[in-house]
Amino acid sequence: MSGMGSAEGIPGFQIEGKGEDGMDRGILTLSVGPQHPGSGHFRLVVKVDGDIIVEALPDPGYVHRGEEKMCEYRNYIQNIPHLERPMIADSCGILYPYVLAVEEIANIPVPERAKYIRVMMAEINRCIFELYWLGIYGIFLGHSTMFMWPMADRELLIDLAEMASGARVTHAYFVPGGVRNDIPDAFPEKARRHLLYFRNRLKEYRDIFYDNPLFQARTVGVGVLSREDAINLGATGPVLRASGVDHDIRKVEPYDVYDELDFDVVTMKEGDSFARAYVPWLEMYESVEIALQALEKMPSGPVRTKLGPNPKGAVGEAFKRVEAARGELAYYLVSDGNPRPYRVKLSVPSFREIPVMAHLLRGAKLADMPSIYWSMNYWPVEADR
Amino acid sequence: MGSVSGMLKTLASGSKHLAIKRFTLRYPEQKLRFVGDGYQFDPKEGVGIAGYRGRHILYHDKCTGCQLCSIACEGIAEAISMVKVDKQYKQNKKGIMPQIDYGKCVFCGLCVDACPFYALFMTDDYELAAYTKEHLIYTPDQLAVKPKYQGTYEIKVDELGAYHDE
Repeated sequence: MSGMGSAEGIPGFQIEGKGEDGMDRGILTLSVGPQHPGSGHFRLVVKVDGDIIVEALPDPGYVHRGEEKMCEYRNYIQNIPHLERPMIADSCGILYPYVLAVEEIANIPVPERAKYIRVMMAEINRCIFELYWLGIYGIFLGHSTMFMWPMADRELLIDLAEMASGARVTHAYFVPGGVRNDIPDAFPEKARRHLLYFRNRLKEYRDIFYDNPLFQARTVGVGVLSREDAINLGATGPVLRASGVDHDIRKVEPYDVYDELDFDVVTMKEGDSFARAYVPWLEMYESVEIALQALEKMPSGPVRTKLGPNPKGAVGEAFKRVEAARGELAYYLVSDGNPRPYRVKLSVPSFREIPVMAHLLRGAKLADMPSIYWSMNYWPVEADR
Repeated sequence: MGSVSGMLKTLASGSKHLAIKRFTLRYPEQKLRFVGDGYQFDPKEGVGIAGYRGRHILYHDKCTGCQLCSIACEGIAEAISMVKVDKQYKQNKKGIMPQIDYGKCVFCGLCVDACPFYALFMTDDYELAAYTKEHLIYTPDQLAVKPKYQGTYEIKVDELGAYHDE
């Protein structure tokens, strides 16, 4: 390794440490990102000893946009479009707790039908997100078919979301007091058709992806997160459930009408990359089930409480959390009685996966990095807010 | 599962799709059909009417120049500015109407929610590409034109799989 001394001047490429024989041990410091195609706008400073990662230091913050501060300068309605930007693939999920918090702080009643529509849209959005993530996970493990199939099937669900809300992504559909507009008359029938077809398609993912020996070779037993570590490091969502912890906000603290719907919380014991990829797939079955049940039980009636153009919050605070596609997503909202919030705090699941990621990458092989990184369901833009 | 049998199963599952119709929509020869005439809002009921959120349509005979759409957009995209129009309307004494910059618009439709006079709605038209930034700015006269968008295709689901068809 001493022959590589010429590279020592290059930032991010350092060789440090001497072995017992006086030779360089050859611990390399590599910067993965922030422009790495596999990481998004996010840097991982990785120290490798040969092929083994000695230490991984996540370095987030490249796409910080000050969402929380922006909230303080906009009224409760104007906050809606920019708050879904951190996670456009799951825009209903990230907007949901905000809407719930504003409803609590401004004491806005919600019509029953709107609650069902919101639950249904949140579940459709969960599937849209999981498919998007699964497609990227597939392509980064070299499985092109697994990129194309979820992207195509996602189109079926995007079509539903677009029919209801009018936009393919960034729906801006949830508002304090319900939803923006009622679903069209033709929606329930089309939704049932698409969701049932989608559920059949999910079985084929298992044949081509999860049962594929190539995928299993890269994920089974890779990046094992024990139950204790998952709890201690604050993991959330599918990562936590893949390690055997039965924790889902939809069950623990039901919001809207989740307590009236029948569904299971999916858990697995293994805690490896395979389990973290398998849990979202099982959860999509539950999501389809919830969406179909919500369609079935949906009462008729109004969908939005009529508000003034500029609703004011009462003096006080609200804390609301929901189970977004990536895990627990919480908003803490403080109001001083003005039409604008005094303080908005987002607690996002992606940020909470950073310590887990650092923990799992320590001691892993460098070639296993994509498999561990993407199984974390980490989204830099959401983590940086 | 054994390596070989797993591989064979994977191959078999993929090759089934040789007999299934292709899902791809051949845009721009084929275009999607949307529900309704674009997103609209009923200020009396306080609720929207489902539809695609594409470019806006402005009804000159109803716009009063109240600037509520522009105020709604202020904290969102700052895409709407109020400009003078040549023609005089009796409901619009100031003679100002919204001009929308589609380089900035995020198509959230909250300006439509803000309009109390049924003057600003959205349409199916999403084909707004232009050669220069200036061409993305739509004047009140351009916004008054009804778009010619005609999509006829939609997703069909049957035993052959999902595909786009008329």
